[in-house]
Amino acid sequence: MSEDRLRVLSVVVEDGPGALSKVSGLIRRRGFHVRAISVGPSREPGLFRMTLTVDSGHAEVDQVRKQLERLVEVVEVEDLTGHDVHSRELVVARVAAADLSDLIERGAKVLHSSPTGTTVEFAGDGGEVGDFVEDLRRHGVQDVVRSGPVVMRRTA
Amino acid sequence: MVLEALEREGVELIFGYPGGANLPIYQHLPDHPKLRHILVRHEQGAAHMADGYARACGKPGVVFATSGPGALNLVTGLATAYMDSVPMIAITGQVASTQVGRDAFQETDVIGATSSVTKHSYLVTNINQLPRVIHEAFHIATTGRPGPVLIDICKDVQQADAPNVPPERLEIPGYKLNGHVNLDHAKAAAIALAEAERPVVLAGHGVLLSHAEVELREFAEKAAAPVGTTLLGIGAFPVNHPLSLHMTGFMGTGWNLKAVQNADVLMMVGMRVDDRVTAKLAGFAPNVKTFIHIDIDGSEMGKNVRPQIELVADAKQALKAMIPHLPQPEKSRGTWLAQIDAWREEHPLKYTHSNGHLQPQDVLIDMYKRCRNEAIVVADVGQNQIWAALWWNYDRPGLFLNSGGSGTMGFALPAAIGAKFARPELDVWCVAGEGGFVMTAQELSVAVEHQLDVKIVLLNNFSLGMVRQFQDDFYGGVRSQVDLTHMPDFVKLAEAYGLPALRVDKFADIGPAMDAAERTKGPFLIDFRIDPEANVYPIVPLGKTLNDFWEAPDQ
Repeated sequence: MSEDRLRVLSVVVEDGPGALSKVSGLIRRRGFHVRAISVGPSREPGLFRMTLTVDSGHAEVDQVRKQLERLVEVVEVEDLTGHDVHSRELVVARVAAADLSDLIERGAKVLHSSPTGTTVEFAGDGGEVGDFVEDLRRHGVQDVVRSGPVVMRRTA
Repeated sequence: MVLEALEREGVELIFGYPGGANLPIYQHLPDHPKLRHILVRHEQGAAHMADGYARACGKPGVVFATSGPGALNLVTGLATAYMDSVPMIAITGQVASTQVGRDAFQETDVIGATSSVTKHSYLVTNINQLPRVIHEAFHIATTGRPGPVLIDICKDVQQADAPNVPPERLEIPGYKLNGHVNLDHAKAAAIALAEAERPVVLAGHGVLLSHAEVELREFAEKAAAPVGTTLLGIGAFPVNHPLSLHMTGFMGTGWNLKAVQNADVLMMVGMRVDDRVTAKLAGFAPNVKTFIHIDIDGSEMGKNVRPQIELVADAKQALKAMIPHLPQPEKSRGTWLAQIDAWREEHPLKYTHSNGHLQPQDVLIDMYKRCRNEAIVVADVGQNQIWAALWWNYDRPGLFLNSGGSGTMGFALPAAIGAKFARPELDVWCVAGEGGFVMTAQELSVAVEHQLDVKIVLLNNFSLGMVRQFQDDFYGGVRSQVDLTHMPDFVKLAEAYGLPALRVDKFADIGPAMDAAERTKGPFLIDFRIDPEANVYPIVPLGKTLNDFWEAPDQ
């Protein structure tokens, strides 16, 4: 995987049973590959927003956007690659260690604590979350769940 | 309610096959005498008939099939239409909405199975969706870059009753008609082309779909630019025109390929620039400084060849925008056109016609002399397709139909039947090899039942000819599984289906057999037993560039 083939796309789709499978089917058959995805309702009723990180494979990188735009279920595609954005990922982890002061200092929040371990959450950009997950090793990590990024254009 | 909605969309003809999950629709069919239904013998036949119908008259072809195997039998036909941007509506029955997902009898995930070969598809689980869905489906199938749309309707929805209110307006937020039109560079494109030293225009199916042949001709004549077509673009520009380069691509004419490979500006109109057009991509049109690409579908820009100037628009719209900006053609244009004429002399289409065997080109030349441009030729896939493309001087759209993108064997007979329904006033000739013909030969019953004037020209070479040619030339000369000597006696087969037929194996009998076919009302089959070693030329060896084309060997 080469970084310059990755596109970060914010895709607004119609809410329906077929939308996700049509988007993912298109990505597969055009030789692209989803590296990360997050989906949730948008501000408009009936529309959902997907944030996709897609490897464009051997195609011109802009093909990912253009092919997605051809789907009738897709209302709008914004290519956020290389733009000034807020990009946030969420990680939830269960660790064995009791002393988590350094994690908390970095912004982690304790969700649940018990004699056998502690569950924490942390949000940040991809790099921060990556470092955080790396750090968890020192705390006897038992389980980690990580979301794909949600991305919004930064405005002045 | 389905049938009323179809009447509202102006449908006159449906090709279909009933079964468990669409019986409620069929129950009401007799109440709608304005809807003529053609009972096919296999659903694939229905899909190709609808496709041939749409290609011949421009209206969307409509197909009915039941759930499961019925719908799956449409898949090849949908893919064929999708690859060639043909408008089609497929209405499939689905198990009851309460049964979906339970592996009910004849249940298949038809949306899943067809979403990669349809422009759009709908699963209708509620009667209230139906009027909107059908109206939208016709709009989507026929506008922008056309294509097949599938509507999978649950059986309980077919049986439900609801006020049948036609939708007043369309609201499809994700469907942008004509994509994202961008004609900003129309003037720059016109100037680049006209001021080029060695311009070439290539025209694809998009020119036919947008009825831009008049504009293309005006453009070419004003710019004094030679025009070639793709296989699917045949008819976009008259082959007899002095500026014609005939067909391009890896089985295109020698003078076309020379022109493309030496061009300095190449304008590609309404085409996908696929591998059959470019041959080895890295060596495609190596002297071009400016590629101009016009297509209604923005995703075609740079998909295969990165253009320096792109116009995202319908071909007609784009050419109209460019014509007023055309300057006088560059002064050296006469030299370039003379060079092309020299290439035309140097690399003519040729074939061997004196080795004792019947040659396919002889058959086609005889046909062309009879039909000129007053008949529709529907070709199958393989050598027969390329011969029918090259050995005929098509002068306008809609006269040559074939499965270009998908290359679907078995297309010709059902598509010819569909074309005849669409254009009853024109003679329809089906040109097929024996391999493809037997894939859908059961549709002969439809031609006989409706006494359609479809004349079937079988170019029978007792083998899978194109595959045999590839094996001979590109796969070490190993002939593997291409022998078709064990085939039915086609004259008897025709008789069994109830149509007259003749066998021809020598040159002198071509004319009399064709006379008999023309004289006979209704379908007619001629089994032409052609030279089993006849090859398609020119041809570019696999993996090579357009410069490397082989020509027919000299006798």
